[in-house]
Amino acid sequence: MIEVEGLTKLYRDRVAIKDVSFNVARGKIVAFLGPNGAGKSTTLKILSGYMPATSGRARICGYDVFEQPMQVKRRIGYLPETPPVYPDLTVREYLLFVGRLKGLHGAALRREVSRCAARVHIADMQERLIANLSKGYVQRTGLAQALLGNPEVLILDEPTVGLDPRQIGEVRQLIVELAAEHTIILSTHILSEVTATCCEHVVIINQGRIVANDSLAGLVQRSRRPGAEQTDSLETIFLSLTEA
Amino acid sequence: MRTTWAICAKDLRLYLTTWTSYILLAAFALISAFFFQRLVIEFQYASMQAMQQENGGEGLNLTDWVMSPLLMNMTVFLLFLLPVLTMRLLSEEKRGKTLDLLMTTPIRASEIVLGKYAAGVVMMLLMLATTLLFPALLSHFGASADGPALDWYSVGSGYLGLALLGSAFVSIGLLCSSFSASQIVAVASSFAMLLMLYVIGLAARGQEGLWLKALEFMAINTHLEPFIRGIVRSVDLCYFASLTGVGLILTHRVVEAQRWQ
Repeated sequence: MIEVEGLTKLYRDRVAIKDVSFNVARGKIVAFLGPNGAGKSTTLKILSGYMPATSGRARICGYDVFEQPMQVKRRIGYLPETPPVYPDLTVREYLLFVGRLKGLHGAALRREVSRCAARVHIADMQERLIANLSKGYVQRTGLAQALLGNPEVLILDEPTVGLDPRQIGEVRQLIVELAAEHTIILSTHILSEVTATCCEHVVIINQGRIVANDSLAGLVQRSRRPGAEQTDSLETIFLSLTEA
Repeated sequence: MRTTWAICAKDLRLYLTTWTSYILLAAFALISAFFFQRLVIEFQYASMQAMQQENGGEGLNLTDWVMSPLLMNMTVFLLFLLPVLTMRLLSEEKRGKTLDLLMTTPIRASEIVLGKYAAGVVMMLLMLATTLLFPALLSHFGASADGPALDWYSVGSGYLGLALLGSAFVSIGLLCSSFSASQIVAVASSFAMLLMLYVIGLAARGQEGLWLKALEFMAINTHLEPFIRGIVRSVDLCYFASLTGVGLILTHRVVEAQRWQ
């Protein structure tokens, strides 16, 4: 579903990501893990078609991100780090607007907006101005926007950052629910997110390079030191892998 | 097409629910009203003087004495107010990170630029429309047995000229708004550019030959005056269309280049 091969991105001469490769199978949920500034957002921005890579290839649903960006953009829902919302619109106006950008119109558009609003539990918030919403609801509005048009792939950049514990729990629960219908790639630097959202696969990136690309069980298995009684926690694995 | 309209409608919605646009509309109408009233008083004074002279009153009419100078002055008001109107169009999208959204939905950069431009033009036309009250007043109270008070053809072509000039200003404002996330940068740079276009005619003074012709040709007033006198020339239409076109094309390049930064 998502195939990334040797992706490299330079910002002038600073290396953001170097030779990043991984695959995500249809219907899987993959956690993209790494410390701040590791290149997570850069990779996701390239996958979403927002900007091109310096070299390498990325394909989503069989379409090349650089050569057929329109085909790719029709098949992804992207939630950037900061939810891209207009504070002066109501939730419903905002969702209708994004729906129109995605090519929906008429009754189908209104149905889709209601469906997505209900999916992220903001159906009764639709007439509120986004400026007056709490951060958790803004995040959900951003998520609802990504869901519009029922894309096959969801790209979620740090979907729980800045939320309170209850909201984090709710958003994670939501992601787990969504995993049934979508292929999801989500980035995070919070480790418990990986286990809480049942990510089957973990890609760990550090300083722009991939340092681990394995299933959660495989990762734990692989890092087990001979003779050690207990398996390492994900945190220990993460810390040892991302040592500078 | 549908997406262009969606962007235009969204931006109009934002324009019509924020204070700035109403302040601009009111300011434009008020300043124009002030000038209108001054011009009417001057006209009144001139016609009283003409009555005392024999054969006076030649060439004394409301079109040339009130409407033409009013329309000429409105250029300056637009010059000051339109940069404030257009400054938020793209820089606000950058600051609020909503440009990321526009760039990752299946729409082209040209649709973003055209939708935004259309919203700016509609607001500019609204500003101009508030001043239609003045010719309406003149024709209502100024008509006499000798004929209508206004030469509607000249007034109409004058408004057409101003609308074209306003569209060119909006396109330049949109370009400046694409430069950065700061609305201050947008307003300052577009004001500077428009002012340059306005005063370039002054630089022509004292010049000779080709320079004089070139500088005069670039100046905005050279191309607005014929419209206000009731003359629609293709060269002036081309001038405003090219100004608008260059602004839009450059904006499109800047928005596209966004991806490569």
